[in-house]
Amino acid sequence: MTNSSHNTPLTMDVTKRGNAVVLTVTGSVSMSDAENLQEKLEQLAAERTPIIILDLKGMDFICSVGLGAIIVGHLKCRHHAGQVRLARPAASVRELLETTRLTKLFDIYDSVEEALAKK
Amino acid sequence: MIDKSIPTDLTAARRLTEEILSLTVASGYNEDDRFAIRLSLEEALINAIKHGNNFEPAKKVRVSADVGAKQTTITVCDEGAGFNPASVPDPTTDENLEKPSGRGIMLMRAYMDEVSYNDHGNEVRMTKRRCTGLPHLAGHN
Repeated sequence: MTNSSHNTPLTMDVTKRGNAVVLTVTGSVSMSDAENLQEKLEQLAAERTPIIILDLKGMDFICSVGLGAIIVGHLKCRHHAGQVRLARPAASVRELLETTRLTKLFDIYDSVEEALAKK
Repeated sequence: MIDKSIPTDLTAARRLTEEILSLTVASGYNEDDRFAIRLSLEEALINAIKHGNNFEPAKKVRVSADVGAKQTTITVCDEGAGFNPASVPDPTTDENLEKPSGRGIMLMRAYMDEVSYNDHGNEVRMTKRRCTGLPHLAGHN
């Protein structure tokens, strides 16, 4: 039996879409990876990106530190009236967002296109 | 049964988390139960390393995990001064939603069936009862 299957490596891929940026997050955002996600979001916020869409389809796990990283990104974006939007979370992650009531803080979309189209 | 002391270190915590999760896989826990156990274990370890031991490398975190056929019980104990879990603000209220931290205890309580602290406030014990929809019983429900 292998131990390596639980914590799938975190990868992040940035794609520019008009005035928005899609940050595709894949793998697990565990306690030791959350800092990387926060750094990436802070970097995008520092570039005054108007809309950051987190495409979460491939993200299989996130802990509270990872949620905190997204909130920090949201707060930094607000300095320039920017927004963080969440797209395509897996059922377990969506449930986590609902349990923490972060669905009140973030708009959640069923597709990246829908998140991009929202005015 | 796992009973280990690990250094106050995220890499060691991650390794131990993997070890415990492997036991839940071997015992046939379903994906939802494994997610709940993983999340709660990570939250307990984060609290122990960050708030309990203040990242002090000389301090240890003691973890025991009993992954059984019917339930999993995990205990995480740090060497910190302890705290009163009742004093932690509810992170789901409107005024706390934008706080980047403070969700760990609430998540443990939401995802585990039982969560309790010792009197000193430096040890959390939590139990997850296995989902009743056991694969081998599915046809009998």
